[in-house]
Amino acid sequence: LPFSLSLHQAYPLATLAKKQPTVLVICGPDQNGSIGLVCARYLRMFEYEPTIYHPKRSSQSLHQDFTVQCEKMDIPFLSYLPTEVQLINDAYNLVIDAMLGPEADHGNIKEPYSGILVTLKQIKTPIVSVDVPSGWDVEEPSQDGISPDVLISLTAPKKCAMRFSGKHFLAGRFLPYDIQKKYELNLPDYPGTDCLIEL
Amino acid sequence: MDKMNHSSAEAEAETIEPLRYLSKEEAAAIETELLRDYRFGQQQLIEIWGQACATAITKAYPLATLAKKQPTVLVICGPDQNGSIGLVCARYLRMFEYEPTIYHPKRSSQSLHQDFTVQCEKMDIPFLSYLPTEVQLINDAYNLVIDAMLGPEADHGNIKEPYSGILVTLKQIKTPIVSVDVPSGWDVEEPSQDGISPDVLISLTAPKKCAMRFSGKHFLAGRFLPYDIQKKYELNLPDYPGTDCLIEL
Repeated sequence: LPFSLSLHQAYPLATLAKKQPTVLVICGPDQNGSIGLVCARYLRMFEYEPTIYHPKRSSQSLHQDFTVQCEKMDIPFLSYLPTEVQLINDAYNLVIDAMLGPEADHGNIKEPYSGILVTLKQIKTPIVSVDVPSGWDVEEPSQDGISPDVLISLTAPKKCAMRFSGKHFLAGRFLPYDIQKKYELNLPDYPGTDCLIEL
Repeated sequence: MDKMNHSSAEAEAETIEPLRYLSKEEAAAIETELLRDYRFGQQQLIEIWGQACATAITKAYPLATLAKKQPTVLVICGPDQNGSIGLVCARYLRMFEYEPTIYHPKRSSQSLHQDFTVQCEKMDIPFLSYLPTEVQLINDAYNLVIDAMLGPEADHGNIKEPYSGILVTLKQIKTPIVSVDVPSGWDVEEPSQDGISPDVLISLTAPKKCAMRFSGKHFLAGRFLPYDIQKKYELNLPDYPGTDCLIEL
């Protein structure tokens, strides 16, 4: 939920350029992908038109539950991602990168994600990355990875975000104070009852 | 009082259908479908509802408007789902800088319920070991009381201790009461003759029949219900503003 709210703040419905408020959500196989699925569901509730590309589905039952929840909201799932960049530019206002999270091994990215990342480096459509830009080293900004326009860090930002130059949100306001103190997170004060804040 | 649906052949402008108020069976059926067919998890739903409740409370009683020096709130949690929602609500109230205290006399052995309890304990939310029967103590200590004892599945005709005793106390306090989903002790389908009178009711997902003649502040919270279920039960939910997860009815 906080992730979708950040999106709504960064790209309000009314500002989307295309006739339909289309959003492409690319979901990986693990937790980052599950977050993408939930995000897509909330975007649908907020009256965006998400389409999901979810090439490799985890067998984990929780992940499958999130998939069913999306299917039951009539969110279309693509069976393949066009490699023709112009097709993506034309069809979608935004691309949500929910492929690889901080636990992924950036040095060893397998298909189909390596191929998808190649495509993403070429599209003009703005990219919003969930937690870390897919393909980036968690601790180092990437030399030749994708360049998202927006990064939504979850809970606390990762080292690679220190030199992220796009719009940066922190989302997910639930972290117990004891953990915040233990790791000296020094999180900013979220406004009011908001669950996200722009950094 | 169900209105007839307009036929699609009518040429006149679409009117807004009235909001549906659910019977006990319908509320249970919707929840079963959400868990079984739509594969929502119970933990997921309770978190959504708890967060929405807390947000509604901040709208009804903003921090700055609370009368006492400290923004104290008493959250009374029952043993079942309504109580779990109360636990999650307390946690969010803490994040929103209220000072919740929980009274949770009977703890379910369900591991999910226990998880929610630990989450609250780890947020340093105090748990009372007993509820004062001295009404003035409650009036003095708390700005609000959140009633998260009994939900729509409870048997209102057969309320056991300690809840029957707590309800007696609640009928006497001056502190405003906010009820989660249904006022504890009320019949789900009939407004109560001699039950508690909450100042605020936060209906979850869709209001229940007993709320039709509720005269206090009424919120609808929990914006996640798939369109197919909304259509199937003809809920005619109002449009939530923007990205809000609650709306005042």
